[in-house]
Amino acid sequence: MIAASPMAAGRAARASWKLGAGSLVALAVLLAALFVSIAPGLYMLSMSFMDNPQLFAGRVVAWPLHPDNYPRAWVASNIGGLYWNSIVVSTVSMIVTLGLSALAGYGLGRIRFAGRGAIYTLVLLGLTIPLQIALIPLFINLRSLGLLNTRLALIGPYTGFGLAFGTYIMKGFFEGLPRELEEAARLDGASEFGIFSRVMLPLTRPALATVAIFLFLQNWNEFLFALTFITEGRMRTLPTGIYALLSSEFYGNYPILAASLVLFSVPVLVLYFLFQQQFIEGLTAGALKQ
Amino acid sequence: MFLIFPIGYSVWLSFHEWNGYTPSWGPFIGLANYTALFGDDVFWKATVNSLVFIAVRTPLEVGLGFVLALLLNRRLPARSLLRTLFFVPVVMSLIVVTIIFQRIYELNTGLLNTLLREIGLGALAHPWLGDAATALPAVIAVSVWKNVGFSLVILLAGLQSLPRDVVEAGRVDGANVWQLTTRVITPLMRPILLLAGLLSVISGLKVFDLIFIMTRGGPTYSTEVLGTMLYRQAFELNEMGTASAIAVILLLLVLGTARLQTLLFRERGDAAAG
Repeated sequence: MIAASPMAAGRAARASWKLGAGSLVALAVLLAALFVSIAPGLYMLSMSFMDNPQLFAGRVVAWPLHPDNYPRAWVASNIGGLYWNSIVVSTVSMIVTLGLSALAGYGLGRIRFAGRGAIYTLVLLGLTIPLQIALIPLFINLRSLGLLNTRLALIGPYTGFGLAFGTYIMKGFFEGLPRELEEAARLDGASEFGIFSRVMLPLTRPALATVAIFLFLQNWNEFLFALTFITEGRMRTLPTGIYALLSSEFYGNYPILAASLVLFSVPVLVLYFLFQQQFIEGLTAGALKQ
Repeated sequence: MFLIFPIGYSVWLSFHEWNGYTPSWGPFIGLANYTALFGDDVFWKATVNSLVFIAVRTPLEVGLGFVLALLLNRRLPARSLLRTLFFVPVVMSLIVVTIIFQRIYELNTGLLNTLLREIGLGALAHPWLGDAATALPAVIAVSVWKNVGFSLVILLAGLQSLPRDVVEAGRVDGANVWQLTTRVITPLMRPILLLAGLLSVISGLKVFDLIFIMTRGGPTYSTEVLGTMLYRQAFELNEMGTASAIAVILLLLVLGTARLQTLLFRERGDAAAG
């Protein structure tokens, strides 16, 4: 490899020169595609600053700006309350799932025990099965427990359904850690839990970050369970709270709706841009490892 | 525990009649929920729509994703920023996406119709979601728009993990970019393309939010899919047994697809070994 490097470098230089025109075309096509892919989002942003006459005139760019849509949307949709519900539900389920999947991933990835293969098969099954299969059973159980319209009605299912993904990623990561670490710790007299919590867990920080961000966004956006298990306005999360706006007096009032949507999307986008590396790597690692 | 119980419960309920109001399920009726479904035109409409949804969406999503991934796989300025931005629709919530597109598809002042009138194609302007002929394509377009980024990211990671020397060898042999792409890269990418396709099929089978919010399965069931039919049966018509039967059918379809995935991958493994 090293011996061939001058030649390879020459080739690479020629190749990159040859790609010059091609790269420009590629870039042009990509930018056009990118425009299609982000234009609807920009349109939403623009709509959120329009008033109704601008909207009905079919305007694309809002001018003059009407920032007062935001305070109105905040009040109209009780977004403060929705935010709080979404934050509590998404965060609590994310933390519980994280703890459980770290333990489960450690067990599956580093401890040999009977039935390990079967449990792992179940985890993989959990990654694939549709949420719908659990919808009616969960609804009935939550109703008989009197838990409909409580935060627990979402925290429980989100935790359960997040476990498959969390365990899957954590197991893969734990498996990849060198055995010497564990043996050294064992020689030093560390217990199994000590090895897990003080030696292994700190090393899995990147995997933990991937799982955390993925689960948080998934819970934040979840719609089907939230729609079915929460029917009272007070306990709604953001997606169903905004959905309810569609059938309220604000039906068709797109500037107000768009402002609510922007407020809803901001945390998602901020989190995504901050952690996109972990997020994308987690997803692709999950998909490609199979 | 979280898995077996709901699956078992759904299978159990699918053999019973139950309106969901009484504290426990009604009489055992065997396969009657299934036979009733198989005699129900709406069920077949929903099944066909689900299949059309997948058959149109998956090739578009994976195809466009692959083209964009190939382009992004070059040495370009701001490559990782581009990848980040292409993925944004994937992280956006469906409620946000659907409301924006409802507005874009709107009859009188929607962006799409305004644009069509602007360029002299005003005759084409019509309520995209309100017309049974265009509602399903319109919904599919949104779905493709939202998910291309996902295929793109998976396929790009696949492209970057290809053995560099094979591609390099092709280049040395004088293959141009087109030949390199079709004869060397695409065959090497086959398993990852298949994987992206199957992931897209599975998520297509499960689709609910997108269609429920945009059209509620209408007009006249033109966008009804298994996911939305299940919800209506359970929570609007209170047919818990029928809804459970749909859930079981959906589960079988998803597991069948996943099984197909393992089989295809095993075949690849054998081929590589032999």
